[in-house]
Amino acid sequence: MQLFSANGCQTSSMNDSELINQILNGNMNAFTFLVNRYQKLVVHITGRLIQRQDELEDVCQEVFMKVYQNLGKYRNECKLSTWIATIAYNTSINYLRKFKKGVEVNPDDSVALRNMADYGSADYEQTDLHRYIREQIEKLPVEYLTVITLFHLEEFSYQEIEQITGMPEGTVKSYLFRAKAILKEKLKFVVDQESLKMMKDITNER
Amino acid sequence: MKDKELDQIIEKSFSDLPDFHLSADFAQRVTRTIVQRGQWKTDLIEYLSITGILVFLLTIASGTYYLVNKELLLQIFTFVSQNVVPVILIVFLLNFILFTDRVLLRLLFSRWNRT
Repeated sequence: MQLFSANGCQTSSMNDSELINQILNGNMNAFTFLVNRYQKLVVHITGRLIQRQDELEDVCQEVFMKVYQNLGKYRNECKLSTWIATIAYNTSINYLRKFKKGVEVNPDDSVALRNMADYGSADYEQTDLHRYIREQIEKLPVEYLTVITLFHLEEFSYQEIEQITGMPEGTVKSYLFRAKAILKEKLKFVVDQESLKMMKDITNER
Repeated sequence: MKDKELDQIIEKSFSDLPDFHLSADFAQRVTRTIVQRGQWKTDLIEYLSITGILVFLLTIASGTYYLVNKELLLQIFTFVSQNVVPVILIVFLLNFILFTDRVLLRLLFSRWNRT
């Protein structure tokens, strides 16, 4: 196995299949480039699911180890990003099953709503709405977080999300709808017209 | 109206980047770890191969001695003890070829690839 210097390989303009060929031929600089290209995707999925910054690097490293070990088995049946996202999703779910017993694999809206209810309107007055919504998103069940991240953040299609998670397309759509419904339900309790206007201003500025 | 506004706000929040990040040299560290792990496996495989070859030769020698022909093996030992210098030279030559193949050529190839 050889480690090439960063300057020794022109990887910046490579497409995914050229990159894979280079890696399979032992060019480790190409692999470093692949990690740089896809680490945001992996960190978004893994971070959202495991919710622990201190464990994040280890889990992400495990994801890329699996990517490297299985790269020879990758066929161009799906995009490389979809394939890597599948590995990231499965690794994160395995981590949760292993280290966080009792994690909700089948989301229950009532539990999600109950989790949110501990954040009262008095607390809301002391914080900003945007941060509040983000906190509420992070409290959603794992499967909801998965589809939100893949659909809204990484902009995968329903079919791609089905490939990644194994959830049927209808379930994906249902989770997206229900996640929004849960948040709306909760926000209705705490958002008054004035703060809603303020929030609109903030989001439009971004 | 309020419902629509809420929808918009929630959808925008869904697209917000989560507050998780990796260290700046994450990619380099992953690559280094893979190289180190791979090297360990390569070294182990080489060690096991050499051990396997030695065990195989010893098995053949002892098998010949106990099962096939004691005299033949004794003759070989006698030949070796009577021609120590040429035998040692041949062993050195074979060892040098092995060293060149497994170590020197690899080193030269990796340096050549870097430049």
